[in-house]
Amino acid sequence: MRTALTWLLGVWLAGVIVAGLLWAPAAAGFQGDSFRIVFFHVPQAWVAVLAFCVNLVASIRYLRTRSALDDSRAGAAARLGLLFALLATITGSIFAKLEWGMFWNWDPRETSILVLLLVYAAYFALRQAVADEERRASLAAAYAVFAFVTMPFLVFVVPRVYASLHPDLVEAAEGVVRFRMDPRLRLVLLASLAGFTGLFVWLYSLEVRLARVLAARRREES
Amino acid sequence: MKRSSLLAESLAILWKELASELRRRVALSAIGLFAVTTLVAVAYQIGPYGLAEQDRPFLLSALLWIILFFSSMAGLARVFVKEEDSHTAPTLRLAARPHAVLLGKLAFNFLLLLALQVIVVPLYCGVMGLAVASASGLALVMLAGGAALAITATFVAALIARASGSNALFPILALPLLLPLLVAAIAGTRAAVGSPGLAAVLPALRAISSLGGVTMVTALLLFPAVWRD
Repeated sequence: MRTALTWLLGVWLAGVIVAGLLWAPAAAGFQGDSFRIVFFHVPQAWVAVLAFCVNLVASIRYLRTRSALDDSRAGAAARLGLLFALLATITGSIFAKLEWGMFWNWDPRETSILVLLLVYAAYFALRQAVADEERRASLAAAYAVFAFVTMPFLVFVVPRVYASLHPDLVEAAEGVVRFRMDPRLRLVLLASLAGFTGLFVWLYSLEVRLARVLAARRREES
Repeated sequence: MKRSSLLAESLAILWKELASELRRRVALSAIGLFAVTTLVAVAYQIGPYGLAEQDRPFLLSALLWIILFFSSMAGLARVFVKEEDSHTAPTLRLAARPHAVLLGKLAFNFLLLLALQVIVVPLYCGVMGLAVASASGLALVMLAGGAALAITATFVAALIARASGSNALFPILALPLLLPLLVAAIAGTRAAVGSPGLAAVLPALRAISSLGGVTMVTALLLFPAVWRD
């Protein structure tokens, strides 16, 4: 069953790549084919936020249960969140180069995701700096919860205080460039969002299974 | 035996911190000297005439907060790190409840920041030739910004106190968390510099207060887990 789902995910994502690059029509208001990166950039940013939310839930659970598995879940989610935030930053930079001529413009959105990367890189710096496993888990969980409460200010407030070049996919939002969502574009984007969410679930479950195996081996050795 | 109140315990912790600081003046010296050195470096490079007139309110406000932020990084972690270094933390855990420890040390860090601001802000305005349109607005931004900065810095200090390489870890953990506050504080200072009255600084004050409120509540909820483990 698990293998079948993994294959289905692979085929789904391959379909998204083909549809995004070949089937989706050109979007108005963008330079050439630069908009096609949106099909990968937006889902990467979404998965990063999802992963940080999972990290928050696992961290709160750890503080309540003190279960090592919850700490492993929190660590796995943060690792994946960091990876997808990095990918979103790279794809966003490529889009910025194509659209505005510079890889980095210190746009509020660019700055906020950079700070998000620093916040979760610091999470791992904290984990590495504490030798005792239980103390490491509780300090990292506390930091994760504390960091998460500042995220809304970083991700939602700061980019809206300062003018941003970043296109807004939401029609009601105040943006310089309005993304006119063709039904086919919307379909590919939604399919990509579902595919990337599936990818996150698969990678996360692999990480948690690995943590379980390592914990079992440690128990056998001790 | 009469059980002491949270306020009494917090004040006792604050008094202990003040007495300890007045005896050795480690944190105040570190923060103060860092601030003055940075201010001299900035003033030497830019001075009162080094910036275009239209850029002055924003750039000078940003430089002021950068000096305050980095100076605070030099000394605010000490409140918890010194307890671990001198092995007094276990006694403190027995002597006071966790919230009293957090509130007492937070109050100390806030007072330390206030002292820093009282010294640095007038000096900076004088040296850089920064005319402030709304002194009361600037004072409110400094008060609110100092309080919000002290909350995050004190909580992060508690987190890193028992980690190896804690002094290097403190700015790594604290600065990304403090960036939204830095943005709001710079916006508020710029407003106070450019506009008379309090109306211009209110949006920044709202942002700083909401950020400070959220981090205060979160710190109070999480601190017992951080302190006891």
